[in-house]
This record gives sequence, structure tokens and C-alpha cells, in this order.
Amino acid sequence: MIKITDLEKFYRTEEVETIALNKLSMEVKEGEFVAVMGPSGCGKSTLLNILGMLDDADAGSFVFNGIEVSKFNERKRADIRKHNIGFVFQSFNLIDELTVYENVELPLIYTGVKASERKEKVEKVLDKMQIMHRRNHYPQQLSGGQQQRVAVARAVVNNPKLILADEPTGNLDSSNGNEVMELLTDLNEQGTTIIMVTHSEHDARFSHRIIRMLDGQTVTENILV
Amino acid sequence: MLRNYFKTAFRTLVRHLNYTIINVAGLTVGIAVCMMIFVIIQYQTSFDTYHANRSRVYRVLTEHRSSDAANIPFSKDVPFPLPNALKTSFPQIEKVTPIFASNNDQILVTDENGKTLQQFIEPKGVFFTEPSFFELFDFPLLAGTYTSLQEPNNVLLSKATAEKYFGDWHLALNKTIKIQVGGYVFEHGTEVLKVSGILENPPANTDFQFKALVAYGTGFTGSLMNKSIDWNDRTNQGFSCFVRLPEQTAASGINKELATYAAKVQSADNKDVYQLQALADVHYDTQAGNFSNTAISKQLINVLWVIAAFILLIACVNFINLSTAQAVNRAKEVGVRKVLGSNKSRLQIQFIVETFLVVLFAVILAIILTVLTLPYINQLLNLSLSLQIVDRVQTLLFLLAITISVTVLAGFYAALVLSRFNPIEALKSRFKVNSGKGLSLRRGLVVFQFIIAQALIIGTLVIVKQMNFFMNAPLGFQKEAVVNIPFRVDSLRISRLDYLRGKLMSIKGVEGVSFSSNTPVEDGADNWTSFRFNNATKESDYKVITKFTDDQYLSTYHLQLVAGRNLKPSGYTQEFVVNESFVRSLGIKNPEDVLRKKVSIWNGLINCEVVGVVKDFNNRSFRDQVAPLVMTTNNTMYNQAGIQLTATNIPATLAAVKALFSETIPDFVFEYKFLDEKVDGFYRSEMQLAQLYQLFAIIAIFLSCLGLYGLASFMAAQRVKEVGIRKVLGASTGNIIYLFTKEFILLIGIAFAIATPLAWYYMHQWLQDYAYRIEIVWWLPLIGGIGALVIALLTISFQAVKAAVAKPVKSLRTE
Repeated sequence: MIKITDLEKFYRTEEVETIALNKLSMEVKEGEFVAVMGPSGCGKSTLLNILGMLDDADAGSFVFNGIEVSKFNERKRADIRKHNIGFVFQSFNLIDELTVYENVELPLIYTGVKASERKEKVEKVLDKMQIMHRRNHYPQQLSGGQQQRVAVARAVVNNPKLILADEPTGNLDSSNGNEVMELLTDLNEQGTTIIMVTHSEHDARFSHRIIRMLDGQTVTENILV
Repeated sequence: MLRNYFKTAFRTLVRHLNYTIINVAGLTVGIAVCMMIFVIIQYQTSFDTYHANRSRVYRVLTEHRSSDAANIPFSKDVPFPLPNALKTSFPQIEKVTPIFASNNDQILVTDENGKTLQQFIEPKGVFFTEPSFFELFDFPLLAGTYTSLQEPNNVLLSKATAEKYFGDWHLALNKTIKIQVGGYVFEHGTEVLKVSGILENPPANTDFQFKALVAYGTGFTGSLMNKSIDWNDRTNQGFSCFVRLPEQTAASGINKELATYAAKVQSADNKDVYQLQALADVHYDTQAGNFSNTAISKQLINVLWVIAAFILLIACVNFINLSTAQAVNRAKEVGVRKVLGSNKSRLQIQFIVETFLVVLFAVILAIILTVLTLPYINQLLNLSLSLQIVDRVQTLLFLLAITISVTVLAGFYAALVLSRFNPIEALKSRFKVNSGKGLSLRRGLVVFQFIIAQALIIGTLVIVKQMNFFMNAPLGFQKEAVVNIPFRVDSLRISRLDYLRGKLMSIKGVEGVSFSSNTPVEDGADNWTSFRFNNATKESDYKVITKFTDDQYLSTYHLQLVAGRNLKPSGYTQEFVVNESFVRSLGIKNPEDVLRKKVSIWNGLINCEVVGVVKDFNNRSFRDQVAPLVMTTNNTMYNQAGIQLTATNIPATLAAVKALFSETIPDFVFEYKFLDEKVDGFYRSEMQLAQLYQLFAIIAIFLSCLGLYGLASFMAAQRVKEVGIRKVLGASTGNIIYLFTKEFILLIGIAFAIATPLAWYYMHQWLQDYAYRIEIVWWLPLIGGIGALVIALLTISFQAVKAAVAKPVKSLRTE
């Protein structure tokens, strides 16, 4: 599904050039659950942003579903993104002005799904995430765990092939965290590919494979399954 | 402590230079507009307020009780016998001063032998009056005496006029000039005047913009006006009377006596009465007017105040919007300051000091801007504003008031919002400024701004459309390529008229020549008379316009006959041609029915048959309906030539015409005016109003957009993260731009819904002043609304596009 080769990314300020990704290569097959670990500043988030097509690399190749996307412009990447990829963030990134229902509905609006179909899909996923009773609440009125469940619901409502999770349990206590990890595991079992950045060894154990990074490169891979 | 406030404030302003520039620019423009209007109003309200006796000086007005509603009910013209009657029968009046204002006077400066050295034409500014003029009004004398005006044929010149005629005013004293008065309908000759004094130039803020004051009693003012006992004489245009009352004497008592007195001395059919009008009201009486056509209505002054207030408010709203926008970026500073021990009121003082610095800077720039633009305003409004006129103390107080009120208005809300931030949330940058109230206040302010801007735009569109109508609507006569050349008849010149006509017709490019007393349309310069139709015993209770025209008038101005025939060539008055309105005013349907009927005008002085009826043409400005009209020949009344030119090579034709006039009528300044330009000139005040509205509309929309820009940047700053999330979820650039603009479209839509009926109502009222006017069609306000919307969207789109194309990674990286 994903094959990146010799990927490079630099951040430049006036005097210093920081290498975020240093000729990084990796592959993720469809249906895999991969955890990416490493110390702060090792390039995990940069990698995730590039995989999510929110950012572009300075050099190297990125093949997504057999298509070379590294040279795609913003619009084309956005198009692939909205149909194929769901995001889960550490800080949930829900829109405060929208209700739970509206937050989850948003990706469907942007992919042009009809209103009747949207209702069905949103209700189905809210049901699945067990937050149907909270559908008319605003994010501030929910607990952290509930907010992250909404975020996951929003990430999967479009049936993406790939979910990118950036420390999804980072702002949660352990029991809420476990719930979210179980949700992700369920989704993976139903066929969704998941790439998750995490600091937590505990969370990483939910995955099939752990990629460890340092200074913009992969250092080791642990295959768990 | 205070120094610290100023230091921090200054540094903050420098650091956020973009915002500071926008704030200062907006406030500068707003304050400058205010100041300009203040100067204009101060100027307008200062007219004739410097005379020591001002509170005791009154003007006598005629209230026409016998005229129809279309005529002006109040006039500054009084009957010739009035001044002498007041002097003899009203001993309680201290001083009575007749003033005859002539116009288009020919002045000849001669050498000792009477040979003409220079010729001048004075359109206005020659007054015939008595020495008592100076006991009512204060005009300092440089040389000679006031009392010399007691003697006929003495003249006091203003310094500027003396310099114009003689080079140096010191040389002017005791010199002689000749005057041929232009402002009186009957023939009169040339008067020789001796310069018996020099007056300081009248200040700009007096309605007596005199060039020369001639002794009342000179020429026909002595032989005719001063001796007249005819209260019905309607040739009294330009003849006014001012009086001075003793202290503690009320005008109302004298008004009552005047009514009784008028009834006693006037014939039974003359119901006119006379009233004293305080000098303080003269400048604001647009109906009766004044000698220099500078009257301004109190209503217009109030409108100016309102516009000034609105523009200033718009500028303040901008400041509020921009400051609260900035607040997002400064929340952290507030948090730190609070943690370090600052409290709410100290923070408020700090923000107020910042505002004060901005306002102070804006006021200074506004003063500079005002001084720089004053010449253009003078040109636009035909005023002579200068900072010399401005009362310095008042202006300083005004600026102080502006500085304080703007600081409070603009700074207070921002200070309140900023100082209220919770320090913990602010430090974590998790604050919410936009929850509920804050933003809806801003929304309300934006709506308010756009109501004003759109109302002004719609108003401007209506005025401009009405102006186009004035310029282009058919008048019913030929006004293109027609020039009018004034002249003054005397017996010598009358004998040359036929010769002149023949010679003119032989010039290449001249198609027609007509001599007449008036052009087909005049703006208030007509002779009105009541009349008797078909030997009726009673005079008509309304008046008609009298025009003295030769037989070529109809062909030269392309007027059409609908019944009967044209006037026969004659030097005398033998027959009448009337217009359709005249026929209709008598209740007669068929124009043929008035033919061969007798009409008598001027109290029976002229009594002739109607021989023809012309199709109605606009014989007055579009403010008024076509008036009933009688036309007749009489070569002693002609004072201008109307020449129809072919459109090609007009300059060459005019040069030949000028040469011919100088040869045939020497000692007369050759002047010409194109008829279409003269007609356009009727609407000068509307033109000024249109330009003023345009200016204010542009400023209002500029300031409103500046405010929108501020609000858009505020929104962009507030919603960076939301935009990021939406983009991650698949929103396109278009989606984001729509997100930003839909709210403003709604706000501008609301403003449009409020502004349109308001503007429609006021412009509808304004249009009622014109008998001929445009309809406010539905798409006119719509154009205004769409225009405002487009400009606003362009303003917002800059911020919206910036937010939409930003990479979401950046906005989401904040954790």
C-alpha cells in the first residue's frame, strides 16, 4: 500500500538546516497495523505528515496504492487524502463550534456525500463508537476519552483505507487510552491499515510491527505478529 | 509608572506596525473628515457675526400673498417706497438702509479727458446704498469717509477693486469711473462716479461681498427708486432694505404694525406683507437667498454634522475591530502581566494609553491632511475656507474633544476585552474571545458600518442619475451650439440692432440670430407679472413669465407653434405669443380659443392680442413645472443676442462675432456663454452635493473595508486551527474561502436590507424638490448593494485566501 524510498525532509532557518528525515525508506502492506516510536525530534511526526499528504518531502519517492504521489500538487494530494486517509490526533482536534454529529459529518460533506446518505453513515459510526447519545453535545462537554472516540469516528466515517494516528492516547488516562486502542484494533481487524505514532510501549504492543526511528532514520524493526 | 506605560505602548505599536498603520490611517481619515466638516460649519456659522450691532439688525422680507404656490412666497426684494415709508412712519426704527444690488455692471476706467482706458464687467458686488449701511455693518475704511455716500455719484471701492481698476488703491481716491448698470430692466444711461473712499476688502464670511458701494440716489436710484410711490412696481429685483432697531425692541411688534401699514398704503388687490428677519437668520435662508448666493440651509448643516459623526464612528469601529483582533495575539502578554502582579485596571490604563498614542498621532496627521486638502475642498464647494477664519480656541477645543472621545470610544472596549482574559487560559493560549457576545458586537458594528456606506452609495447613485437627467433630458428647445452674448441697450444701440443682425447673419457659421430679454430657460432671472385675460375686471391671482423676444426667437431656439402664427417683426410691443401652460392655466382646452383675445400685463401698461401659441418647453429649471409664459417684441427690453451656430469651427465663428460686437457696440465688455453650459450651471449646487456625497461614500466604504480587513484578519487568527482541521478532513481552498465570506455576505446582506429603505426614503424626499425627476428604479439600490459586496469580498478575500492556502501542518503543530 505504501512504499517510500530515500525520503528526505529538511527544515531551514536562516542559519541552521535541520534534517528531519534522512533517506528514510519503509513499506507498509495493506491491512497492517504499524507503530512508529522514537524520541522527540526524531522525525516521527514529519513522517506521519508526509504519509498523510499534509506535507511534501524534499527528495525521495512516495508510492501510495501503486501511484507515485511525491510530485503531486496540493489539490491532487488533497483529493487522494480525503478519499483514502483518516486522521486521529493526540489533542483530538475537534471543531469547538460544531456538535459531535456535525464534526463527524464534516469529511462526508467535503467528499460530496448526499445528505440522506450522510445521516445514515454518521449514525452508524456514532453507534459503533457508542457515543450516539452524545450526538448533540459540543466537544467541550465531553470527557477526553469521549472526545477521542468522536475523533476516531470522524476518522473512519469515510471508510478510509488508511488511518494515521498521532499519539492517540497521549492526552488520555490509561483506561480511556485502552478503549481507544481497542477501537483501533477492531478497525484493523476489519481491514483498515493503521500507522500510529506513539511514545507508549504499551500502546505499541497493539500493533503488528514497531518501527523505531532516530535522527530521521529507521533504526530497528520489531515484528510482533 | 506613567513613563513605563508610554514606553510599553510605544514599543507595542512599533512591533505590530501593520496594525498600527491601519489603525492610524483609518483614524486619520475619519478625524480629517470630521475636522474638515467642522471647519466648513464653523465658516458657515460665522457669516456676518462680527458686526457689533448684529443682534439689532434685521432684513425686511416680502411675503407674497397674492402669488400662486409655484412662486417663492418669501422674497428679499421689497417695493421701492418701503425704505422711505419706514423712515417716516416708523420712528421706533433707528436706521433704515435701502440696498440695491445690481448685476452685470459695465465699469469703464477713463483718463482725465473721459477716454476709456479699461473696461470691466462686474457680475455681482455693486451695491447702491446710504451711509447708514455702516451703522448696521462693520466694514473698516482705509481712506475717504463713509458720509461721502450721502452725495449722489460718489462711490466707495473695496481695496481689491481699487487695485484692479487703478493698480494701487492709494491712487484711486478722487478718480472717476463710469458705470452702466446691468441689473435693472429699464433703459438708463451711463453714470460718472467719483471714488470718495476705499474700504478694506470684505472678509470671506460676510454675505455682502461688495466690490463697490455707490451712493443711493445716483442715476435712476435717485430719479426712480427713491421717488417711487408705486407699491405694485414689480421691477424691484435686487432692491432690499435692512433696518437697525433700538435695544430691547422686539421685531414681532414692528411686524404687526407693518402688516397694518401695508394694508393701508397698498391697493386692495395687493395683499403682500413685510416682515423683519434677524440678520442671524439671513445666511440660512435658502428660499429668499442673499446677495452672494451663499445661503446654506440649517438642514444641510445638520446633515453634515451627522455625516461627520458617522464617519468618525466608522473609524472608531475599525479601531475596536482591529484592537480586539490583535487581542488574540496579545493574550499571552496579558497572562504574563497578570501573573507578575498587574491587575485589570492597570492593564486597562496601559491599553488606553496605547489607544491615546494612536489617536494623538492620527489627530496630528489629520491636521496636516486637512491643511493639505483645504484648497481642493474650496474648489469643490466654491468656498474660501482658510485657517485664518478658523477660531483657534474653538478648533483646539474641538480637537481635544475628538482626541478624548475617540480614545474613549475606540479604546475602552478593547481595553475591557483584553484586560478580562483569564491568565491561566491565556498562558496556555486556550482562551476564547469569540464565544458569543464579543463577536456579535463586532458583527453589529460591521452591519452598522455597511448601512452607512451603502446608504451613501445608493444616495450617490440617485443624485448622479438625477444629474444625468438634468444634463440630458430634452428641454423642448435647442440648447446645443447656441451662444448668448449680453449687451445693454440705449437709444444709440437700438438703432444698430438691425445692422448688427444683418452683419451677424453674414458670418460663416451663424445660422440664426435672435435678440431677447431672456433665454428660453432662466433660473430665477425671469420677469413675472400678473395679468388680465380677455378684458377681465380682475387680475389673475397667479403670475406669468414675460419674455421680450424678436420674431427670430422661435426659429433660433427651435420652438414649435401649435396654434396661430409667430410674432411679426417690430421694435414695439404689438402682440403676444403664449405657451400651452398659459392656455391651460386659464382652463381652456383648445389653444385656438385664446387667439385674438386680449391680454393685459404690467397693470395695463401693455395690452395686446394673442396671435400664437407655442408648444410647452421647460422655461424654468427642472425643480419647477413649466410656467405660463407670454412673449412679445420690444427692442428697448432686449439685452442679449442668441446666436445659433453650426457645429463646425465654432472658435473661428466666435472670433468673427467678437470682432463685430466690439465694432458695433464699443465700450462694452464682450462676453459669451453657451446655452447648454448656462443650463448646466442651474444645477451647480446639486453637482456639489453629488461630489460631496461621492467623496463621503468613498471614504465610508474605504473605512468600512479597512474594518472588514481587520475583522477578517481577526477571524483568520482565531480560526487558524479550525481551518487546519477542515483541510485535513478534505476541505478545498474554495470551501475555506466560502467559510470566511459567507458570514460577511450575510452581514452585508442585512446592512443592505436596512440601508435600502432608509436611502430610498431620504432620496425620495430629496427628489420631491424637483418637478421633473427620475424614478428610483429597483436595480439602483441593488447596484449599490452589489458594489459594496464586491468591494467587501475583495477586501476579505486577501485574508481568506491566505488562510485557505496555508499548510494545515503548521496550524496543527501548536501542541
